[in-house]
Amino acid sequence: MNPELIQAAADNPWMAIAPEIALAGLALLLLVAEIFLPKSKHGLVPSISVAGQLGILVGLLVNWNGASVGQPLFNGLLMPGAHTQFLRAFFVASSLLVSVLGVVALAKQKMPKVEFFVIVQVVSAAMMLLSQANHFVLMFVALETVTVGFYILVSYVRTNPLTLEAGLKYLITGALSSGLLLFGIVLLYGVAGNPTLPGSSADSMNFDALYGFLQANPGNFLASLGIVLVLSGVAFKIGAVPFQIWIPDVYQGAPTPVTAFLAVSSKAAGFAILLTLVNVFSPYAGLVATVIAIMAAATILFGNLAALTQHNVKRLLGLSGVSHAGYLLIGVLASLTVPVAASAIYFYLFAYLLASFAVFGVMTHVAGENDADQELDHYTDLAKTNPFLGGILAIGLGSLAGIPPLAGFMGKLLVFMTVFAAAGAPVGPLTAGCYYGLLGVAIVGVVISIYYYFGWIKAAYFDTWRAPLLEGETDPTPARTPVACWMRLTLGLLALASVVLGLYQGPVAGWLLLR
Amino acid sequence: MSAILFNLFAIFTVACALGVVFNRNTIASALCLLLALVGVAGIFALLEAFLLAVLMVLVYAGAVVALFLFIVMLLDVSGGERKPFGKATVFSGIISAGLLVVGLISFTKHGAQTTAELPAGAAASGSVLKAYGEQLFTTYLLPVQIVGFLLLIAMLGVIVLSKKFQGLEDIK
Repeated sequence: MNPELIQAAADNPWMAIAPEIALAGLALLLLVAEIFLPKSKHGLVPSISVAGQLGILVGLLVNWNGASVGQPLFNGLLMPGAHTQFLRAFFVASSLLVSVLGVVALAKQKMPKVEFFVIVQVVSAAMMLLSQANHFVLMFVALETVTVGFYILVSYVRTNPLTLEAGLKYLITGALSSGLLLFGIVLLYGVAGNPTLPGSSADSMNFDALYGFLQANPGNFLASLGIVLVLSGVAFKIGAVPFQIWIPDVYQGAPTPVTAFLAVSSKAAGFAILLTLVNVFSPYAGLVATVIAIMAAATILFGNLAALTQHNVKRLLGLSGVSHAGYLLIGVLASLTVPVAASAIYFYLFAYLLASFAVFGVMTHVAGENDADQELDHYTDLAKTNPFLGGILAIGLGSLAGIPPLAGFMGKLLVFMTVFAAAGAPVGPLTAGCYYGLLGVAIVGVVISIYYYFGWIKAAYFDTWRAPLLEGETDPTPARTPVACWMRLTLGLLALASVVLGLYQGPVAGWLLLR
Repeated sequence: MSAILFNLFAIFTVACALGVVFNRNTIASALCLLLALVGVAGIFALLEAFLLAVLMVLVYAGAVVALFLFIVMLLDVSGGERKPFGKATVFSGIISAGLLVVGLISFTKHGAQTTAELPAGAAASGSVLKAYGEQLFTTYLLPVQIVGFLLLIAMLGVIVLSKKFQGLEDIK
C-alpha cells in the first residue's frame, strides 16, 4: 500500500460522528438485549431504547459546541455545517418521540416489538449523516438506508391490508425516486468528470468540486438536466407536487408512529439535503429558482385544496404536510439570496416537530386496533371525556395552522419575512413580483388550512349530530387508550414548548439566526 | 472495429430489452433481461471499464436474474388474458412516449459536450480492481460501514415482514 492510502485511512475521524455511532450502537445493543434477556423481560427493550436516546440527546446538548464546523471530514465525504448540531438534536429528538409513540401504538398490535426501535434508530443515524453529506456517494448511501428503513416501517403491521398497500406504494414510488436521483447524479458525475471541460475534477461527486465545475461552465445542458433530476429525486422525499402522489395512501396505511416519523424526520432530512444541494447548484441559480418557485406554488395550492375534503385524519395530516413542504420550499427559494432563510426553515421544522408529535400523540391514543381507520368522527366528545387530550390536540393543530401566539405562527412568519427580504434581489428569470406572488399564494394557503384544522378541533370540542345506533349495531368509534403518566408528561411538554416558543423564541431562534 | 462492435452490442441490448417487455411468458422475459444485461456488459468492456463489465455479469446476470427466475418459478405466474388498455392509459402512454422522443432528440442535440480528444491513458478510479478496492477501504470506508447497517435493517425487515409469529393471523 502506498503511504497516501494509509494516510487516507488514518484520516477517518470517527470521534467526529460520535452521536451517530452512539445511536447506531444503541440499536445493536437492543438486538443483543433481545437475545440475552429472558422472554419475560423483553418488555424492558423499549425502555432501554428510550432511555438510551434520551442519554444521547442530553449528551448532544451538553457538547453543543463540539462539532467541527466547516472542516471536511472523512476525506471530504462529510462537511459539518453551521446547523449540523441542531439537526443532530432534531433527529435524535424525533427518533425518541417516535419510539415513545411506538411503545403506545405497538401495544395494540401483535407484531414483534424490538425490530421497530432498531430500525427507527438506524434510520435516524443515517439522517444525521445525510444532513452533513458533502459527497454524492455518502448522500446516496445514507438516503438509501433511510428509504429501505422506511419500506419496512411503513408495512410494519402486515396484518392490515391498507398497511400492505401503503408499503407496496411506498416501495414503488421510493424506488422510482431513487432512480431519478441516481440518474441525475450520474449525469452530473459524468459531465463534471469530463477532462476536456474547464474546471473538471477526478472526484466530481464531491460537492465542492462540483460547485467549482458548475461555476466554470454556466449553461451546460447535461449539468442542467442532472440538476433537475436530482432536485426531482429529493422532491419525492419531501412530497412536493408533482411528486406528492404517494403521500395520502402511505400516510394512511403506515402505523401512526411511522406516519409521524415520515412527516417530521423524513421531511426535515429532505430539506437539509435540499438546502445543501441548492448551495452547490447556486451557479445555476436561475434554473434552480424557477424549478423551486413553480413547485412551491403548486405544492401549497394542491396540499391545502386536497386536504379540505379529507375525513380520515391521517390523510388530512399527510396532505397538510404537503402544504407545509410548499411553505418551506419558498424558504429554500429565498435561501438562494438570503442565507438566513436556512435558519428560518430549521426553526419552522422545529415548530413543526413540536406540533406534529403533539397531534400524533393524541392520535395514537384515540386510534383503535385498526390503525388506518382514524376518522374525524372518532374525535367526537374528546374534549369532554378527556380534556387533557383535547387541549393538547387544540394546541398542536393551532400551531400547525399558524395561529398566534403558537410556535407554528412564528415559524411561518420567519420564513415569509426572509422571502420578503429575498424579493429585493430576485434571481434569474424571476422578478420581485414572483416572490410577492408566491407569498400571496402561501397566505391564501394558510387561510384555507385554517378551515380543515379547525374542522378537526370542532369535531373534538363541539357536539355534532350522529345517527343513533340501531339495535345490534356496535359503536364504530374505537375505545380510547388511557393516557399513561409518562405520556402525559411528554405530551404536556410538547404543548408547553409550542406555546413558550411562540411567545419567546430567545434561545432557539437566537442560536439559529446567528448562524 | 470498436464502432462495429458497439453497434452490434447496442442493437443486441435494445432487442433483448424489447423482448423483456413484449414477451408473454415471464420466464422468457427474465431470460431476455439476462441477455440484455450481457449486452450492457459488452458495452462496458468496449469502454475499457472491465471491472464494471465483470460485475454486471456476476451480480446482475448471475445473481439478480437467477433470483427473479427463482421467484417466477416459485409463484408460478401464468400469463392469463390481458385486459385491453383503458382510454386514460393510452392517452398518458402517448404523451409519455412523445415526451421521451422530445427528450431524446434534445439530448442528442445538446448533449454532445466537446469534440476534443480525451487525453490518453487516464483510467477512471473505479475501472481497475486494485484501485477500486483500495479506495473502498480507505477513502470510502464510512459509506461501506453505512451499507453494513443498511443490510442489517434489510435483514430485520425480511424477518418482520415474512416470519410466522405466534398469535398473528395474516390476511389471506
